Amino acid sequence: MLEPHGDCGPHGAWFALMIFYILRRLLFLPLTLFGISLLIFLMIGFLGPYQRLATFINSPERLKGADVDKLVELYGLNDPLIIQYGRWLKNVLRGNLGWSYVGKEPVLSAILKRFPYTLELTLFAAIPIIFLGTSLGVLAALHHNRPLDHGLRIFAVVGWSFPDFVFGLFVLMIFYGTLGWFPPGNLSVWAEEIVKSPHFRNFTGMLTLDALLNGRFDVFLDALRHLAGPVLTLTYVEFAFLLRITRSSMLEVLRKEYVRTARAKGLDERVVIHKHAKRNALIPVATVSGQTVIGLLAGTVIVETIFNRTGLGSFIALASQQLDYASIMGGSLFFGLILVIGNLCVDLSYALIDPRVRLE
Amino acid sequence: MKRFLVVLGCVFFALLGVLPVFAEVKNPDTYIYLSIGEPDTLDPHYAYDTASGEVINFVYENLIAYKGESVTEFVPRLATEVPTVENGLVRDGGKTYVFPIRKGVKFHNGNELTPEDVEYSFERGILFDPYAGPMWMLIEALFGYETLEDFVKDKVGIAWSDMVDEEGNLKSEEYRQKLIDFYTTYIDPAVEVEGDSVVFHLSRPFAPFLSILAQNASWSAILDKETCISLGLWDGQADGWWKYHNWKKEKSPLYEKAIGTGPFKLLEWDRTQQKVTLVRNDEYWGEKPKLAKVIIWGVDEWSTRRSMLEAGDADQVATPLQYLDQVKGLPGVVVKEGSRLTITALHFNWTVAKDSKYLGSGKLDGEGIPPDFFSDVHVRKAFSYAFDYDTFIAQVLKGYGHRVPSVIPRGLIGFNESLPMYPFDLEKAKEEFQKAWNGELWEKGFKLTLLYNTGNEARQTACEMLKENIESLNPKFRIEVQGVQWPTYLDAYRQGQLPAFIIGWLADYPDPHNFIFTYYHSNGVYGTTQGEAFRKFAEENLDALIEKAIEETDPAKRQAMYEEIQRIAYENALGMPLYQPEEVYVMRSWVKGWMFNPMRPGEVNYDGVWKEE
Repeated sequence: MLEPHGDCGPHGAWFALMIFYILRRLLFLPLTLFGISLLIFLMIGFLGPYQRLATFINSPERLKGADVDKLVELYGLNDPLIIQYGRWLKNVLRGNLGWSYVGKEPVLSAILKRFPYTLELTLFAAIPIIFLGTSLGVLAALHHNRPLDHGLRIFAVVGWSFPDFVFGLFVLMIFYGTLGWFPPGNLSVWAEEIVKSPHFRNFTGMLTLDALLNGRFDVFLDALRHLAGPVLTLTYVEFAFLLRITRSSMLEVLRKEYVRTARAKGLDERVVIHKHAKRNALIPVATVSGQTVIGLLAGTVIVETIFNRTGLGSFIALASQQLDYASIMGGSLFFGLILVIGNLCVDLSYALIDPRVRLE
Repeated sequence: MKRFLVVLGCVFFALLGVLPVFAEVKNPDTYIYLSIGEPDTLDPHYAYDTASGEVINFVYENLIAYKGESVTEFVPRLATEVPTVENGLVRDGGKTYVFPIRKGVKFHNGNELTPEDVEYSFERGILFDPYAGPMWMLIEALFGYETLEDFVKDKVGIAWSDMVDEEGNLKSEEYRQKLIDFYTTYIDPAVEVEGDSVVFHLSRPFAPFLSILAQNASWSAILDKETCISLGLWDGQADGWWKYHNWKKEKSPLYEKAIGTGPFKLLEWDRTQQKVTLVRNDEYWGEKPKLAKVIIWGVDEWSTRRSMLEAGDADQVATPLQYLDQVKGLPGVVVKEGSRLTITALHFNWTVAKDSKYLGSGKLDGEGIPPDFFSDVHVRKAFSYAFDYDTFIAQVLKGYGHRVPSVIPRGLIGFNESLPMYPFDLEKAKEEFQKAWNGELWEKGFKLTLLYNTGNEARQTACEMLKENIESLNPKFRIEVQGVQWPTYLDAYRQGQLPAFIIGWLADYPDPHNFIFTYYHSNGVYGTTQGEAFRKFAEENLDALIEKAIEETDPAKRQAMYEEIQRIAYENALGMPLYQPEEVYVMRSWVKGWMFNPMRPGEVNYDGVWKEE
């Protein structure tokens, strides 16, 4: 675990320690994932075979012509749980996560195809969220209890308490309905034609990046237009929390004795704030930012739905609704992976922000 | 620095803002239809939902097609003539149908259409017969069985699962010859090539046979034999055909590939975006479509669909009735109406499973109902009198629907507006309740739970209206209305735990048999879930009549037969036919050539429409 520690050793040793720490944390990964999968499988297993048949018969209309009891048998839904889990595990160890009835393709490829869209949105949203959250938070703290502080706090509380489906619809109506600027979807028809053409190479699956790598600035701009709505929505709904954390953390640090000492020494106020206060105030902010980013990486159901964007969130939501267990299991493993790696990155970032932090 | 960022921001937004916003027809030769959901599979012999049918319908073709908006008149398609008794192509009293096959038609990969392709297409479908697929229709029409496995069991004498394992391998070599013989004796002779024609041999006359074959029916689409075999579908041989039976959905190579002869080719089914793209088939043998491209895109959120329609980025959007007011009167948007052949009815379970949670105490003691509560005709009649049908249609469906005397929708043989219907009459409902269970019910009262699957607002309201009315009759009558997720509903429904259920049916083919058999026959899809007592009743009173009516080919006689069946259904209050809905189709006013056919899956005739202001 992490522990603040006074001295820091020579550079090489610190680096080796870090690698060791990372490896040790990653060693636990398979165990964590195994635990997750078992837990979720058991939860799904408590449902009866006919309930789970909802994956295959997903609406009343689909009862037509369906040989229900034979379907239960065909998909082995009546087998003992342990046998069903064994069957799943055996396939997973062979690298086969099963078929996703929601994604209509193998689970792994369904996840891998959607992830770049989620990652792209996360990256674009994380920048304004973190930038606005921290800088406005610091600003509010510096203007403690003055009008600017109050104004920012009200602005943040409104954003914080705005349900994303309401704000998302506002954004859609104003910026698409009225102004026609930010259309829903991933790309316009003409741009999609270019992206799907054989000349266009898909390097990352992230449309903006691929467009730049292919030298198609028009496609890049189009992808950006489609990203703007979701980014705007996510930013306003998510940045408020970060602002509040930054503000209170900054206020606390500003009251610390060393800040007073620094000021008493007659240091330039900017140096006091940026060098001494801000860096210390940022440690809790890093944790919260990390969690925000991890949350975004898990997909954003509402924003994806409103702006009709491809992504992991709506995929997993649909899978859960229809009890598509292969997709649910695959998705959970993937989120587990993101969570473990994401948390690791957050922990490592402490060491970067604050050299006193030692990894053990 | 800060000022620079502000300026940069302004420039960025301005740049996005000045990008052109068109007012004229957008994407003039591309049609964008926003649907709810996406296809289930593109294998024509597995697909059984309208979203799949919508795509298959324009990529593949059938032997014949409906003429314009009619569901009773046909025109030739891949056949050059529609068989009739007059032209000599329907023979043996309706047991033989002959289809001369069109020449010079090419599949999308350049292969030429032959009569062998037609024979192969039907035989592959019948042998494949997946558990949740539509092939039962052809199996019923040609052989009089419900599934291939039932057919095999009856003829070979051994259950399918005893002969073939899950991987499709024989459990013992002794079955090999038996199964080969089954194919050569029954399946192979049923569909045969004779010169340039294909001949179907039915085991008995089957009145709606032509409509089962007509365009829009994916199960009768014509595939290219050569392509199918090279993709790994049934190889056309008698030996080993069982390996190709009942594959899981995803195993079929036709799941995402579609090579037909139709006016459009499948360019892509992008399952991450729920988007199907079709392009015009420039080699098409018939009149070529005006559109160059069709995009069918699943956009599940209504506000998003509406915004895109308003902006002109979509030409037509799926519009549930409750949102109709939001688009009526929008500039550049028109609303058209059409009545699909679909019915929604409430049916009773005459013998509810004893372990059901929805029966209260399970006894007639005022705290519940006995499992056979609805086997008393007076209870069913009382319920039928206690529903305000007209108010429901006027308020909930906003007038987009009408009452029907039975489960036969308007527009089909057997429909007759003047047949008796239960009026909304609480006095009569009271009388019936007083007669029910020898008067015991009225004294003791009852308690039961009505379920609906959440998200279905019309059904929820119907349950609640019924509750209000019935509870107003007697303070001892209590109905609880409960919404559950679809998986739970499905489970309770299958286990026979629901005391009553509201369920709809959309025509597979435009014939009363499709509805009457489904709801009223003891073996119908919904017939089997109305309990043991209903099954006995149907076997004694209905099954024989239903089976006789399907063999009759004279429409006038059939009309009389179906009226007789409906009379029995009315007198015994078998169910409560709630409504036949009208549907609304919402599109831009620049859409021209749009045409409605009740049997078309999906909303658009892509081969006929074009865009022009």
